Parts: sequence; structure tokens; C-alpha cells
Amino acid sequence: MDTSVLKVSNVTKRIKKKLIIQDVNFDVKQGEILGFLGPNGSGKTTTLRMIVGLATPTSGNIEICGYSIKKDYVKAMSNVGCIIEGPDLYDYMSGYRNLEILGSMSKGVTKKDIDEAVALVGMEKRIHDKVAVYSMGMKQRIGLAQALIHQPKLLILDEPTNGLDPQGIHEFREIVKSLAKDKGISVLISSHLISEVQLMCDRVSIIDNGRIIRNAAIHEIVATGEVVWTVDDPEKTQSILKDKFAVDSSIDAKNVTASILVERLSEINKALIYSGIEIKYVEHKKRTLEDLFLTLTDKHKIV
Amino acid sequence: MISLTQNEILKILLKKKMLLIFMLLLIFVSLLSYGQKYSYDNTIKKFEAESGGVAYDWKGLTTQRLNDLEERSGNAFIPEEVRASIDREMQQLNYFIENDINPITPTASKFNVQFVEQGITLFIPLLVVILAADLVSSEFSKKTIKILLTRAVPRWKILFSKFLALLIMTTLLVFIIAVSSTLVSYLFFQQWGFSEPIVTGFRLVGDQLNSDSTILISRFQYTLLIYSLLWFVSIIMASITLMISVLVDNSSSAIGILMAALIGGQFLQFFLSEWTVVKYFFVTNLDLTRYLTGSYQPIEGMSLNFSILILSAWAAVALIISFMVFNRKDVIV
Repeated sequence: MDTSVLKVSNVTKRIKKKLIIQDVNFDVKQGEILGFLGPNGSGKTTTLRMIVGLATPTSGNIEICGYSIKKDYVKAMSNVGCIIEGPDLYDYMSGYRNLEILGSMSKGVTKKDIDEAVALVGMEKRIHDKVAVYSMGMKQRIGLAQALIHQPKLLILDEPTNGLDPQGIHEFREIVKSLAKDKGISVLISSHLISEVQLMCDRVSIIDNGRIIRNAAIHEIVATGEVVWTVDDPEKTQSILKDKFAVDSSIDAKNVTASILVERLSEINKALIYSGIEIKYVEHKKRTLEDLFLTLTDKHKIV
Repeated sequence: MISLTQNEILKILLKKKMLLIFMLLLIFVSLLSYGQKYSYDNTIKKFEAESGGVAYDWKGLTTQRLNDLEERSGNAFIPEEVRASIDREMQQLNYFIENDINPITPTASKFNVQFVEQGITLFIPLLVVILAADLVSSEFSKKTIKILLTRAVPRWKILFSKFLALLIMTTLLVFIIAVSSTLVSYLFFQQWGFSEPIVTGFRLVGDQLNSDSTILISRFQYTLLIYSLLWFVSIIMASITLMISVLVDNSSSAIGILMAALIGGQFLQFFLSEWTVVKYFFVTNLDLTRYLTGSYQPIEGMSLNFSILILSAWAAVALIISFMVFNRKDVIV
């Protein structure tokens, strides 16, 4: 069974002859939190807008819970809740009335669903005040509540922690994490804050200039390090790495540099020593998501 | 669909738009009623002053006119249709004499009709514009369109529910205009006058106003007739405003565009007799009541049916454009 809750296939968006999004592919599995990273203007928000039906792709297909948003718009959308660029609510009514109005637009949303969502975001005390007097943090909570009242399987959050204080960010993160863990809700969260993505997400997609340039699991990225071996025979080392471990490396004088999963390091070292290579020095440079992000997006800009 | 429409009505009510419109109406209706009462009193005073202190004798004047008409109707050479029209006017005058009512006394039933006749081209369309201009555009300018369009509801349904809510609120607006203009003016005039007879049904034959087909109806029936026309005009204005509201992303631009169209349209009418294409513009056709009073001489080809047809066509096209644009629009706010 295909457990993809969201499947984005070959999506392209052209606005006035300019390619905004080029051939984007990614998917989100059930209960997974996918981080969507990219610099400002990279096409993050445009991609998310296409997923929630605010914009239409020029070509390509988007499926939510197996329903194409082109052919089965209503069924697809009934499985999505979202906050796109800030929680914009009707500020001339109370938070509760906002939720009532939006709840009545989905089938089968009861008063209990609304109360539960309100309790989840911790807004019981101020829910009957007018939205106009809410702080940014409170609006964000109602924003999250409106995305959850119809119990979607997929939650799309676009820059959700913009304008929140550190306390608010922490709380928000915990709520989203527990939604994914306890209720099995899949979350697609876009951000330009790398630390946030690293703390919340299981996997990450990095987008730049409208293209996905990397899809990877967070633990994989964090666990991958750059290792430099200083050896007596760099060519032989390189061929062993290539043949036995399928790792590409580069040679600089007596140094061999390669990106490997850190846990494989001892195994590789053992193999090198058995082959009679004298290892003078091994250096392991830890890499963070930030390094990866910067190298990937920088490289792209120069080209 | 019902709950969607309820939501939209709730939004209009909570924005307190109706309250603003109601206050504007009250102010205008009060001022106009007072003005009319004041000028009526002045006319009588002036008459009395000019005639050297003789009390204003409307009965004498009316009886004199009645006698003239009787003499004409007795003439054997006048055609049958003309005789019928004279008979109707005599009936009308008889009613006033029998019931001891001065025909030019201001009454509530006259005022509510006059208010529509004066307001149907600018003031009342403006109220409709205030009501409808931000219906879609404010969702864009306040960015709430994002939470509205990311629900499991197709876009056309959302716009349709807005249109239905607008129809209901426009109908309510016309009702409020009728009630407030009648009640407020009654406070000033102390006369209802709903049972007074009135002559209507003038027709343009060639370039002559023809009264052959006129009929005598009560003021109450006439008020109903005028307000039905006003309701129709208001619905047309609401549809056109909805289109502008979809096309423009902020409410003040929408109101500005429509005001420019309404006021500019009044100026264009000056050229109507030479530049006949102006008759296809919706503003030129808004004043449907003028076809009933016989005081207006429209150009060749313009009739009540023509104006209704032109207005309906404008509304239909406006709605088609609204739905097409709204369905395809990429939301980038």
C-alpha cells in the first residue's frame, strides 16, 4: 500500500512566461514531518499554494491521500489543513466565530471538534474576544486551530513561527510534533530557519530557484560527515573506497576526502589497514544541516 | 450552500455595513422631508401674501379645473381615447374634493416615491455599492481569502454563496429604504395618502407623450410598482459591483471605480440625443421610474423594456465575468 499522504509529481509553474517552479517532485508519508527549506524567493510558498489549491500548476500533478487536486478537488481538500504566510483571520469577529464559520464549510465538523481544537492550542480563555485584540501569538494559535478543526490528514504550515517569541516557538513545535506522533498527521512545514527544521522534521527537501536540489532524511544529513584520510597511497585508498564502499572521493596531495555516514568510519578504516595502507591521520568534519543548506544554495547561485 | 450563505450574511452584518447605510438613509430622508415640509409651508404663505391676505383656496382652483375638463369631455368631436383619459383625471380630482384633500399636500406615500425617483440614479446605487464593493475585495486585502479558499468547497460555490447573501441584503436594503422613507416623512407630514389615486402608464408615440393608455391606480399600488423597479435596479447594481469587487483587490478602488462610473454616466447622458451609443451604458438606463411619470422624453428606441433588457444584459455579463475570473484566479496575497 502506498502510504504517501501527499505526492507532488513533476509540478511546474509559469507566471507570465517566467518559470517559478521547475519540475518539482517530493512526497510526504503518513505521520511524517517534512521540512521544506529554501532561501527567500526560492518558490517555497508558491509550491505550498499549489498544494492547497490557491494557485494552479502549469503542469504536473498533486495528489492528496490519493485524490488529485485537479480532478477530485473537494475530496483532496477535505484532507488538508493549512496556514499560508501568517494567520489571517476575520478580525471583526471573535476567534470562536472564525472557527465556527470555517468549520461549517467542512462536512461533519461539530462543536466538540472546535472545542477540542481550541483546547489543543490552549486558547480557551480568550476565544470569545475579538481577533482584532489578539497578539500575534494568539492569532497563530487560532490559525493552527482553524487548520485542525476538520481533522485533516495533512497539515501544511508556511513559515509558521514567523513573529512568535521563543516561548511560542517552542510550544508550537511541541504541538506539531505531538500531532504527527499521536494522531499520525503528516506535516509539511516550510521555513528558512534551519535550526527549526532540524529540531522538528524527519526529512527535508531543499528548494532553490524553483528546483528541488536535495531530498534527504535529517538523521542522514546530520550523520554524514566529511572525512579526510592522510595516507601514503591516496590512489589505492580512492579505489578501495570506490570498489568496496561505493564512495566517491577526491585527492589532494596525500589527502583523500570523502563524504560518508560517520557510523561506517571504523569499518572503512579497518578495510584500509587490511589492504596495507598506512593511515597517518583521520579527520572527521561534522556537518550540520546549515552547512549543507549553504553549500547547496550557494553553489546554485554561482552557476 | 445554506450554511455558506449564512456565513456570508453574518460577515456583512458583523462588519456593521448595514448600520452605516441605515444612518446615511435616516439623515437624508429626514433632511429631505423637512425641506419639503418647509417649502410647502412657504408656498402657501407666499400665495396668501400675493393675493392680499386671502386664504389659499385649493378647492376653488381644483373645482375650476374639474369644470374645464367636464366641458371638454362634453364636446362630441373629441376621440374616444382622449375622453377616457379626461375621465381619469376627473376621477382623480373628484377624489380629492370628496375627501377634502389638497392635491399638492405632501404625504408619506408621495415622499417615498419621490425619494426613489430622485435617488435611483445615484444615491441608492451608491448605498448598494457601499454594501457590495468589499464583498470579495476585502477578502483579498485582508488576506482572509486564504482561509476561505483552502476548504473542501469548490470556488464557484463560495462566490455563489456571496452572491446569494448579496441578493438577500440588497432586498433588505430596498425594504429598509421603503420603510424609513415612509415612516420618517409621515412624522413630518402627518399624512399617509396611500389611497389617493394617481395617473400612470404614459407612452411615447413618435415624439409625443401619449396618455391614451394611462390608468388610475392608488398611491399604495404605485409605491409597490416604484419599489419593484428600485429592487430590480439594485440587484443589477449589486451584480455589477460584485464583478468589480472580484476584479479589484481592494475595497476603496472598487468603490472609486463604481462612483466614477455612476457620476460619469450622468454626464454622458447630456450627449444622449446626438451620441446614441450612450443608451447602451448601464448608468443611462438606471432611472426606470421616469418611464412611468411621463415627465421624461427619452430618445428614439429607449423604453422601459429596452432599459430592463440592457440592465439585465449588463448584470448577466458581469456575473459571467465574476465567476470566470474568481474560478481561475491565483491567490498570491
